[in-house]
Amino acid sequence: MQPLTLWRVLARCGILAVILFVVVVVALKFGAVQVSLWGLGRDLISVILHRTSAISTDYGMIVIDIRLPRILLAIFVGAALSVAGTSFQALLRNPLADPYVLGVSSGAALGAVLALIVEPHIALPPAVTALLTPLGAFLGAAATIASVYVLGRREGLLDTNTLLLAGIITASFLSAIIIFLMTTLVSRDLHGMQFWLMGDLSIALQRNLRWILGVTFAIAAAAIYTTAGDLNLLLSGEKEAMHLGVDVPRVRLVVYIAASVLTGLAVSVSGAIGYIGLLVPHVMRWIFGSDHRILIPTAAFGGAIALVIADTLARTVVAPAEIPVGAMTALAGAPLFIYLLRKRLA
Amino acid sequence: MFSTGSPSRAQTQSHAATPATAATAAQIAPKSETREVIDETGRSIRIPQSIHRVVSLAPSITETLYALGLQDELVGDTDYCDYPPDAQHKPKVGGAINPSIEAIAALHPDLVLVTKALNRLDTVRALADLNIPSYATDPHTVAEILSSTQHLAELLGVPESGAAIVKDLQARLAGTQQRLASFPQRRVLFVVWPQPLISIGKKTFIADALFYAGATSIIDSSQDWPQVSLEEVVRQQPEFLVFAESHASEAPPGIDSLANLPGWRVLDAVKNRHYALVSDAVNRPALRIVSAIESLAKQLHPEAYPVARGAEKDNLTGYHGTVPPLSATALRLPQSFLSFMAPSAEALASTPEHACSL
Repeated sequence: MQPLTLWRVLARCGILAVILFVVVVVALKFGAVQVSLWGLGRDLISVILHRTSAISTDYGMIVIDIRLPRILLAIFVGAALSVAGTSFQALLRNPLADPYVLGVSSGAALGAVLALIVEPHIALPPAVTALLTPLGAFLGAAATIASVYVLGRREGLLDTNTLLLAGIITASFLSAIIIFLMTTLVSRDLHGMQFWLMGDLSIALQRNLRWILGVTFAIAAAAIYTTAGDLNLLLSGEKEAMHLGVDVPRVRLVVYIAASVLTGLAVSVSGAIGYIGLLVPHVMRWIFGSDHRILIPTAAFGGAIALVIADTLARTVVAPAEIPVGAMTALAGAPLFIYLLRKRLA
Repeated sequence: MFSTGSPSRAQTQSHAATPATAATAAQIAPKSETREVIDETGRSIRIPQSIHRVVSLAPSITETLYALGLQDELVGDTDYCDYPPDAQHKPKVGGAINPSIEAIAALHPDLVLVTKALNRLDTVRALADLNIPSYATDPHTVAEILSSTQHLAELLGVPESGAAIVKDLQARLAGTQQRLASFPQRRVLFVVWPQPLISIGKKTFIADALFYAGATSIIDSSQDWPQVSLEEVVRQQPEFLVFAESHASEAPPGIDSLANLPGWRVLDAVKNRHYALVSDAVNRPALRIVSAIESLAKQLHPEAYPVARGAEKDNLTGYHGTVPPLSATALRLPQSFLSFMAPSAEALASTPEHACSL
């Protein structure tokens, strides 16, 4: 492993940041409504200068009020899923691990369904009502994180295999409850249900919610990054890491909680979008190696790039209709994964 | 319930005209006392001459049977058949997508009524294996809802009452058309589900109902329930947003909160609260759609109803600025969305249209 320098991290992240910027500009340009690059640039500068009055056209409003927030959401969700996937793959030392392997997405979906069920029966101000489903999803995710943590312990400490099995069983149990609710209680909100199973970025979030998401993401990602060096040592084995002075139980706990929170946040606002958290970490590992001090930030950029591209396709290929972005990532992700796998073996 | 086929055949035999042939009735009786009809999907089916026991597998068909005065012949319906309220007390056979074949067979129906857009072909096949005939309706327009009602009336032996009802409804539709004739069509967005935004395609009966109410959908999709880009809606700037209401059901973010959401708040219809709320009847291809059309026409074209305006203000002038609290405006999905109810992942993946190509 090459010695880490700040330069190596910044150079790689810089390249990815440039790619992300280009992708975002392309994503802003394309959509159901055509806009010119010139008009786009002018409007963006107006927004940056807080001269919103200068944006007079409907088209500017479409780009600024609909397209840009959605792209920012895609960046956030893509980065969160990708970092969570990288962390789970290292924590569980399992290349098949993705952000949903420990049941967080099932818990979030169940929370969202329960929120949809109770919503008409409780009187709340409209601002709270709009938040109820994401909140339900996040509470469902949090409850799942807590119960998998309790079930995944062995003699008081997190154990990799026990955690994995506890997570998988919890996920399948929660899915069974969802199916049960769908066939008995829930009668009409089933399209909302499909949204949680499939993943979709078209929901509009209120401004305050975006700040909460951004800050929590930064805290959780930073917490994971503090363990990056320890995760490298963990790859060589838990005993070895412990002999080299790694506080393995603490690393496990930090990574488990932070990665689960990232997943829970992402699922609460977008449903369970597949493949980003599985595929992007592998691609980044093949390109940049498995040093987590580089892998974690590059995976964040890679996930953001991948999801912005996928969502742009989801918005444009059948415009003015849309397809759920989860269908798009699965459609493109599975063949790409197979291709990369065979190429690496060859 | 392994012998569910036998009771229904036995019952058919009991209608046999000549007891002398009872010994061989099993072979010849069904032919001698059945008739062949073509259903609305073009299938040829054999049904008994006279039909006394009917099971309905769609809320719209249950409504139609009640409207035709055939409620006594209706011996079973689905969990979602809630109109008229009396229909809730009929024996239930499960959901429309996943009915219990056993429960249907146990009711010994002469005929099961299904609708192509909602029920599954698997259900029809399973019933056919038990020698239970099923007749499928398939209305795609308001006119076809009326003609489909007439077909059912003829099929079930009450052609006169069918003709009378259809004639009355046609007169009401013509009256609405006449009132609206001099007013331009309103450009509207029918919101099936706000987040993600689902609207209606041009081939649905709802799009046709909007037309009768003096409105056209801004969405021109050949899919029945397209997921629509909010960008496209902002570009088109519909004059009204049309929601189907429900008093008891689950809702995504209520229409009150739309004004705070990015994208939605740019819509003129949201800024001006040009919302039209229409009874959930608009979601069912049944006769109440005519009342829904009239209510919608009054909300979208209040100027066409000058006299009624003062007298029935609350009902007629729409909901400009006086949107009821969320609990009263919870949204309801069209009947076809019930198909997402299916218990298996396989059924989940199939859209209503593909779920049943009879």
